[in-house]
Amino acid sequence: MRWLTVTTAIGFILASLFGLMAAAYALAAALEEWGWLSNLVILMIVFVMVIATLLTVAERKWSAMMQDRIGPNRARIDLPGLRDRSLGGLPHVASDALKMLFKESFVPKSANRVLFNLGPVLAFAPVFALFAVVPAGPTVRVGGWAVDMVVAQPDFGLLYIFAIASLAVYGTSLAGWSSNNKLALLGGVRASSQMISYEVALGLSLVGMMIAMSTVQLPAMVAGQEKHLWEGTLTLFGGQLRLGVPAWGFILQPLGFVLFFAAAFAETKRAPFDVPEGESEIIGYFVEYSGMKFGMFMISEFVEIVILSGVTTSIFFGGHQVPFFGQALAGSAFATEYPILWGAFSGTVFWVKVLLLCWLQLLIRWTFPRFRYDQIQALGWKMLLPAGLLNVFVSAALVLWDPSLQLLAVLGLLEIGAVVALTATRRHGEAEAHAEAAPAAPSH
Amino acid sequence: MSYQASQNPREDLRERLYIPELLKGLAITTRHFLRNLFRQRDPNTSVMDRTGPNLVTTIQYPEERVAYPEGYRGLHRLVPREDGKARCVACYMCATICPAQCIYIEAGEYDPADGAAESRVIEKYPTAFVIDELRCIVCGLCVDACPKDAIRMDTYAHTPSEYTRQGFVYDIPKLLKGPAVSHRSDPWNKRPGSDEPEHQHLEPHVRIGDGAVQQVKAPEHHAPRTIVSTDQPVPVVKFLK
Repeated sequence: MRWLTVTTAIGFILASLFGLMAAAYALAAALEEWGWLSNLVILMIVFVMVIATLLTVAERKWSAMMQDRIGPNRARIDLPGLRDRSLGGLPHVASDALKMLFKESFVPKSANRVLFNLGPVLAFAPVFALFAVVPAGPTVRVGGWAVDMVVAQPDFGLLYIFAIASLAVYGTSLAGWSSNNKLALLGGVRASSQMISYEVALGLSLVGMMIAMSTVQLPAMVAGQEKHLWEGTLTLFGGQLRLGVPAWGFILQPLGFVLFFAAAFAETKRAPFDVPEGESEIIGYFVEYSGMKFGMFMISEFVEIVILSGVTTSIFFGGHQVPFFGQALAGSAFATEYPILWGAFSGTVFWVKVLLLCWLQLLIRWTFPRFRYDQIQALGWKMLLPAGLLNVFVSAALVLWDPSLQLLAVLGLLEIGAVVALTATRRHGEAEAHAEAAPAAPSH
Repeated sequence: MSYQASQNPREDLRERLYIPELLKGLAITTRHFLRNLFRQRDPNTSVMDRTGPNLVTTIQYPEERVAYPEGYRGLHRLVPREDGKARCVACYMCATICPAQCIYIEAGEYDPADGAAESRVIEKYPTAFVIDELRCIVCGLCVDACPKDAIRMDTYAHTPSEYTRQGFVYDIPKLLKGPAVSHRSDPWNKRPGSDEPEHQHLEPHVRIGDGAVQQVKAPEHHAPRTIVSTDQPVPVVKFLK
C-alpha cells in the first residue's frame, strides 16, 4: 500500500501548507500595519528556510528514485515505534545539520580571515533576501484592512531581484579568492564569469513579460495574469461557471520562460551548469570551507532553488491563481465571506506550484549531463541572448498591435504546440535505427 | 540496408532546438521517479527476478542478502562426522599445499591400547587446527588436497568482520560446523563382518552428504542451491578423546 502512504504524505504536506498560510494571514491581519513583519518571519524564515532544508534530503531521496535507488534511509530516531522506520529519510536532515554544526570550522593559515568568513555570508544573504518581493498569496480584506502576503512591495519589484541576485556573485568569488587556494580561485573565477554572462540573458528574458504586463512589480504581475484571454461559461449542476484561459506568462511568453529558466538555472550554479564546482577537476570555490560555513554555501543553493521557483511561479505560472477557474473562485461568495481561508487556499496553490517547480529543477539537475565551460558561454551569449532580443522585439510588436494580448497568446500557444509536436513525433530514421539495433558490418 | 551513423549529431530540427530532446529526457526520468515513488519495492533479493512497476534495483545489504552462486568458495569449515567429531585425520596435506601457509595443525594420536572405535581404524586426530582467515587467499587447494573430505568451503558465507586480528584466527570450535558428512567407505563405518567390501569407494564426484545439506528452491533460471547454515555450529561433543 505504498501509494496510500505517499498520498497520505502529500495530503499532510497540503494540509500543513494550508494551516501555515491561514496562520500567516491571521497574524498579518492581527498585526495590521506591522503585517510585513509577520510575513517576513513566516514567509522567509518558516516557508523558504524549511522548504530549502527539506530539499537537501529531498534531493538525495528524489534523485535516488530517479536513478532506481532507494536513497537515504539509515538515519533513525531511537524511540519505540520509530526505531524500525526510515520515515522517508527525513531524520537525515537532523543528522546532516548536526554533522555540519559539530565539524571543525577550519580556516587555512594563508587565507584572508575576514574575507574568508565573509564569503558564506555574502553568498547566503542576497539569495535569502530575494524572496522579499515575491507574493505568496492574494491581498484580502479582513475587517477593512488590506492584508498582503508579501514582505515588501517596492516600485522597482523585478529590478530588486536582478540587483540582489547579482550580489550573490560576490560571495562565491570572494570565497574562491580569499581561500588562497588555486583550485578555489579557479572555481570562483568560473562562477563569477558564468553568473555575469547569464545576468544579461536573465534580464532580457523577462523584458517581454514586463512589456505584456506593463509593470515590474511582482504582485501586479500576478494580478495581471488573472485576466482571461478567452472566456466561456460552463453549465454545471444547473449553475453557471465562468471558465477562461488565463493570461499566464507561460502562455504569453513560452520562449521567455525557457530563456529565464535556463539563465536562472545557470545563476544557481547547479548541474548542468555546475562548472564552478566540478568535484573531479577543481572541487569548487568552497574547497577550503568546512562545517557550517560550507553548509551556508550548500543551503544557499537550495534557497536559490526555492526563490527561483517562487519568482517563476509569480511571473509565468499565475502565482497563487488556480488555472481556468481563477476568476470564478476569486469572485465566489466563499472568497468574500471567509477572506482568511480564501487567502490560505490561494497561498497553498502558490506553494504547491513552487514545490512542483522545485521538483522540476531537481529533475533537470539529475537528467542532463554537465555542460563544458565553452558550451556554457556559447549557450549564454550565442543562443539565449539573441533569442531573448528577438523575443523582446516580437513581443513588443505584438503587444502594440493587439493590447488585449490575444495575439501574443496565439504566438505563445503556437510555440508550445510546435515544441509538443516535435517532441511527440519521431525523428526521421529513428524507427529504422531501432529496428536494426544490431551493428551491421561496414559496407566499404 | 545498414544503419548509417551520422557524424553530425545536430542535423535534426529536434536536436538543433534542444528542447524537444530535453523534454524526452525529462519524461524518462519522470517515469522512473513516479514508478518508484508510488509503487512498492519488490524485496526479492534476486534483482533479475524482480517484477512489478517499481524499478529499484538496490539491495539493503545487511538485512537482504543475495544468495551466493553454486560452487561459491566461502569460509572454511571442518566437516563433522555423525558423532560430531571432525573427519580430519591430521595428515597435514592441506597445510602442506596451502600457498599462503595459513593452516596450522597439531596432531594427536589415539591410544592404540585403547579399545575405543577410533583407534581401531584411525591413528591420528588434530588437537589443534587453526586457519588464519586473514592470510587465506581462498584458492580452495586445501579442499582439493584433503583425502578425507574433512575440510570444505561450502558455507556460502564470507569471512565475517572482526574487531581484532586475533579474531580472524579460526580454531576448531569456530571451524567445526555445518552438517555432518558420512561416506560408506569411511573407516569408522566399516565394521568387522560388514557386508560392505573394504576399500570400495564411491565414484569420486558423487554428491556426498546428501540429505544432510538443505536444498533450497532457487529462482527459475538458477540451479537449486545448497545452503549450509552458518548461524550456529552443529553441537559438537568434546573433541579430545
